[in-house]
Amino acid sequence: MTPLERRYRRLLRAYPHDYRSAYGDELLDVLLESAAPLRTVPEPREATGLVIGGLRERLTRAGRGSSWANGVHLGVTALCAAQLAALLPYAPAIPLWTSLSALALLAVLRGRVRPALPLVLLTGAKAVAVASGEPLFDHLLLPVEPGFLTDAPLFALSEPPPVATDYALALGGLLVLAVYGRPLTPRSWWWWAVVPPMAWAGPAWMESGTVYPISLSRMAVELALLGMALWAGRLSHDPRWALGATIYVTVASARLWDHAADLTRQHLAYWGLLVFLAGATALVPFGHWRRASTPRLD
Amino acid sequence: MYFVLTTLLDGPMHGHAILKGVGELSGGRVRPSVGTLYGILERLSERGVIAVDREEVVNGRSRRYFRITDAGQAVVRAEARRMHAAAALVINRATFAG
Repeated sequence: MTPLERRYRRLLRAYPHDYRSAYGDELLDVLLESAAPLRTVPEPREATGLVIGGLRERLTRAGRGSSWANGVHLGVTALCAAQLAALLPYAPAIPLWTSLSALALLAVLRGRVRPALPLVLLTGAKAVAVASGEPLFDHLLLPVEPGFLTDAPLFALSEPPPVATDYALALGGLLVLAVYGRPLTPRSWWWWAVVPPMAWAGPAWMESGTVYPISLSRMAVELALLGMALWAGRLSHDPRWALGATIYVTVASARLWDHAADLTRQHLAYWGLLVFLAGATALVPFGHWRRASTPRLD
Repeated sequence: MYFVLTTLLDGPMHGHAILKGVGELSGGRVRPSVGTLYGILERLSERGVIAVDREEVVNGRSRRYFRITDAGQAVVRAEARRMHAAAALVINRATFAG
């Protein structure tokens, strides 16, 4: 195997496994035939094309099945990832609840709605109890101090209502999916990768003394995910991405609303970006329907 | 997509031949990457304007040959007529000829 072939094989990992198994060799054949002699490094435009092509293929596959059920599943997945991120820094103090939250995310990712329901209900009840300062299920010493990734005690910056809204929406979505009853397509394992940066309280970008600081890493992950939802909506002309984005942004807005009196211009810019991206994701499929009246090769 | 479908009017082709055809038809202006080309081929297949004609194994690797369908021929011809009519609006004007 030449260095060029090895590097192209690595880039082809951007495609889903079954697509790669079926057509990976065919793409590799064309890539090697098109390459200049003695070339050992992929051309940048070919590398970019493979990464974007692979991502596009993954998003296309994620967009199959019932549109609304898939949209609800997507929104619940994002909420469960954020819920695990909220507990992760406190794992040394509350290993049981962090593990249950991780199991909830695992069940949701695999499309197992019924096992996910009690897990989200239990962790949600405990989270609201901690935010309220009330004991529930065990005698946890409050405040719960972090082990890593942040300095603030658990839910020190959150009142019970936004925490309850977060878990109530996730539970509501799971109940709707349970009533729907049909199998859900498992979601990507890459969702695990968003948890640590969402949990990290750094790098700080808001002024020191801000009552409700939001880390740059969390904001970057949220905006990247919403940007991908917008791109997926544009590619698939499907409203499922908007539904998932709306569910997540509703919870993010509830968190900000809880601190309405303390919001800075940076908070409002952040919230504006979230709402803009979710709104744009909802509008792009309509743009396609309007153009569809005049068939064209675009 | 237009150049891909126009290339396939000459008969079934595999990915590398389509890339070469697109480059020649466009005078080198359009050079899609392999990832972009296969994204286009997948979308055209889903829309039913092209189909896999056959598969061959070359150098131990499977290779699909794509062909344009009847629906695809109708689409690309309609697009050509539309562009021709749009171009005629300008070309037929006396001021342009002068």
